[in-house]
Amino acid sequence: MKGWALTFVLAAVFALCVGPFYWLAMAATHANSEIFAETPKFYPGDQLGANTAKLEESIGLVHVLGNTLFVAVVQTSIAIVVALLAGYAFAKFEFRGRNAFFVLLLSTLVIPGGVTIIPIFEMMNDLDLIDSFPALILPNLTVPFGIFLMRQSLLAIPDELLDAARVDGAGELRVLWRVVVPVMRPVLAALGVFLFLGAWNDFLWPLIALRTPEMFTLPVALATLQAQARTDFGQVMVGTAISSLPMMILFLVLQKQFISGLLAGATKG
Amino acid sequence: MINRRGVLALTLAGTLTLAACGGGGEKAESGGPVKITVWSWKPASDGLAAVAKDFERANPNIKVDVQVIGNPAIWEKITVGMAAGGKGLGDILHIGIDYLPSYVDKFPGGLADLNKLGAGKYKDAFAKGLWPTVTGKDGGVYAMPWEVNPIGFFYRSDLFEKAGIDAAAIRTWDDAIEAGKKLKEKTGASLIGLNKPAAGSMDMDFYQSLLQQQGAFYFNQQGDVTLSSAPAVQAMTLIKKMNDAGIVADTSGEGTAKKLISSGKLAVLPWAAWAASYIPEMRPEQKGLWRVMQPPAVTPGGKRTAIVNSTHLAISGTSKHQAEAFKFIEYALTKPEVINKVFKEGGVFPALTAAYSDPVFSAPTEYFGGQPALKTFVDSLTEGADATFYSSDYARALKIASDAQTQVLTKGADPAATLATAAQQLAQQTGRKLAG
Amino acid sequence: MTLTMTREAATKGGGSPRSHRPLITKRNIPYLLILPALLGFVAFKAYPILAALYISLTTGAGAARTFVGLDNYVRLVNDPLFWTALWNTALILVVQVPIMLLLALVLALGLNSPLLRLRGLWRLGVFMPSLTGLVAYGVMFSVILSKDSGLLNWVLGIFGVDAIDWLGSPFWARIAIVIALTWHYTGYNAVIYLAGLQSIPKELYEAAMVDGAGAVRRFWSITVPQLRPILLLTVVLSTIGTLQLFDEPFVITGGGPDNSTLTISLYLYENGFRYFDFGYAAAIAYALTLIVAGFGLLQLKLTGGKK
Repeated sequence: MKGWALTFVLAAVFALCVGPFYWLAMAATHANSEIFAETPKFYPGDQLGANTAKLEESIGLVHVLGNTLFVAVVQTSIAIVVALLAGYAFAKFEFRGRNAFFVLLLSTLVIPGGVTIIPIFEMMNDLDLIDSFPALILPNLTVPFGIFLMRQSLLAIPDELLDAARVDGAGELRVLWRVVVPVMRPVLAALGVFLFLGAWNDFLWPLIALRTPEMFTLPVALATLQAQARTDFGQVMVGTAISSLPMMILFLVLQKQFISGLLAGATKG
Repeated sequence: MINRRGVLALTLAGTLTLAACGGGGEKAESGGPVKITVWSWKPASDGLAAVAKDFERANPNIKVDVQVIGNPAIWEKITVGMAAGGKGLGDILHIGIDYLPSYVDKFPGGLADLNKLGAGKYKDAFAKGLWPTVTGKDGGVYAMPWEVNPIGFFYRSDLFEKAGIDAAAIRTWDDAIEAGKKLKEKTGASLIGLNKPAAGSMDMDFYQSLLQQQGAFYFNQQGDVTLSSAPAVQAMTLIKKMNDAGIVADTSGEGTAKKLISSGKLAVLPWAAWAASYIPEMRPEQKGLWRVMQPPAVTPGGKRTAIVNSTHLAISGTSKHQAEAFKFIEYALTKPEVINKVFKEGGVFPALTAAYSDPVFSAPTEYFGGQPALKTFVDSLTEGADATFYSSDYARALKIASDAQTQVLTKGADPAATLATAAQQLAQQTGRKLAG
Repeated sequence: MTLTMTREAATKGGGSPRSHRPLITKRNIPYLLILPALLGFVAFKAYPILAALYISLTTGAGAARTFVGLDNYVRLVNDPLFWTALWNTALILVVQVPIMLLLALVLALGLNSPLLRLRGLWRLGVFMPSLTGLVAYGVMFSVILSKDSGLLNWVLGIFGVDAIDWLGSPFWARIAIVIALTWHYTGYNAVIYLAGLQSIPKELYEAAMVDGAGAVRRFWSITVPQLRPILLLTVVLSTIGTLQLFDEPFVITGGGPDNSTLTISLYLYENGFRYFDFGYAAAIAYALTLIVAGFGLLQLKLTGGKK
């Protein structure tokens, strides 16, 4: 295919993918009463500042973004470490119950999340953790998909590499840190993007587990704007547009590592 | 942007302090003021928050925290709390009539019996038809009526004029259908809009109002299924007639109704009292074009009133501060001057009948061409609506009735046959009897 | 196993007294590594899942909960809506997953072309739909799919196509779900494929070109076999994802019209959160799990289940 033809086709796909976001971004610059006016708004309006100011006033945008960022960063970081350690054990050690645990872990992938919410809520309540960030973070630290990805990728690392380090007298954690982590950096970046995305957009559990507006994450705070017919879509659109920015930045920053990282997990599958 | 360390410190400090007071201020037993938490949604919550400040001034030992949860998010939150035996619920819960009976029946003890706190004396204080709906099968009173939404008939006077229609002459829905045909021909506008394929609860208000005008609903007082009763069939037949006449616009899709309204393609909005403040807010530029009257009756000379929904304040059964919570509810909902302040700040139409003597309910409304718009609704409530028996299976009934309406509107199904099947399905799913 | 045992023997042979044994020994290293994951698993996966199993054997909620044995499962088998939901889910799965993965592959091939400039930008563009939050997603598609004022019908109208009742006809509503799903996840899968494509050694292609193989031949004899592990990964993930399909019907069609887009997960949600029938909802979850596990096994069998 000629370069210009390819570019043309891709531009069409690009427009299809980004078009709705463009509409969203434009909607964010119009007043609520204008967004669904007779003609679709394809041009920027002058209400961006007003919508953002209203949003800051009604949900405390900056504070809520801080909460979301904190939860997503802490949760993602810990979950990656947990997955790396477990994946390392599954891939490089023989131990009693290994296969049974691994199969159990993977089988939880297929259980719909909705049914476990009530038991987890009761547990968090008994632990007096409701309305705290630990309540959001704790249930999401063991991620079967992440452990699976780590194990598959680690299987590809030759044992000789690890043994060489061990012969030099390095402890296991040192081997992990000095030898495994550098090789695995792309997969870790990939998993990071996945987990961050999940944590950032998580809605139902934070809604149930949080009580005070000071603790809300962005999706929960945006839900408070919903009031059936009276929803202020100007604010909702600004909030949504802002909420996708950090993930776009993360994707751009990590995409080089991310793209080769996915590969390591999958090709060795 | 704050730097990373700042965010970290801030949120960490937040975690610690908030985790420390875990269950929401339940630990302030001795000494300091008692804190009660209210779960609600906008804009009603604005009204409540406004009077909460006055209340706190008069009762320095009680602090009221009105939390905006959002609607529909609030239902998921309350439901999980109820399912967990009432753990973690707010002290006061804002609950719509569509959910209230289910919470009362399916979670015994989930809501406090307000009779024990002295609610009984307000039995006759609220608009007719409401008290039976907040009363449980066991005779307990599980919520205090806050907001009432009698249905209205908002119409574009300019379009009516253009089509040569005298709104006052429309007395039955059959008259309205004739007017709708003329409107369509002369102005191109549809009479009403309905979300034909996936009617949600708001879209079913219209069908329900036609039932309620005939004193009927999905269930009767005994809790038997009446979805295939003669009034139910007649109401659905009316909707089919309108649809067949081509005067019902499809409003499926977010914002579709708003677009049709802004372009003058909808002549009538069969919306309830909340729309008296919502329409001016949504379409400020259509000032002077809208009027409101009571909706026409289903049968000549029949009732023109229907309460399409109402919302209430309940106290969670596990609240440790039920007396204080009731004190606040009593303050906010049973005093005319207070509830009218809630109305002014939060836009919800008060259920308290004593509130209607306030001049605001008979004052001319500029947006509605100087018509005293609110008076229409007061008149409706004075005429008095019949009590509606939502039952604990309302959600299932709503879904099944909505599916039936979809079949009628999109496939042209026969109302009687469709409702007969629907009623059977409802009876089977809920283990209820079909009414004879 | 043998390895652990020898290690154990070695430690014992060393004869170091119990109290002086270091906390971390060769033998318990894997257990220490697995411990955090195990704790999280027991507390937040195994326990709630078993609790849900018990709930599926009960009816009522809170104080009114009673044990009813297998009643919920019997009811499930006799519930026409459950079968409708299952059928809809299967239908969407069979149509949507192949279309999406094929599109994703084509897109990845395009994005991988050496003729293309500014690849980072293109990649971000196609990945963006997977960043959308649920509320905005719902609003966007409601706006796009509306019959009389929707963007999609407006675009189709330019090409002379009559307005389609996307949300009002059972057939088109399912198509609408397929379109929304495809929009949401194609770019995501394309990015995964892209990674795979970039890993295929260039020498393979060069050798084939020397042998005179055309572009189509090269695609089938090099690209597809080399991508196999990745293709399998996406097929498995997309299948599990679609069997648990909830977001799209929840925010776009509400399961309508007339239940034509009701999916298993949506039905589960309605029973739990709208009808407060938690026992029944849990039973639906377990039924779905059995079905998904069955599919998983089948897929594993078909693909040889190799590591």
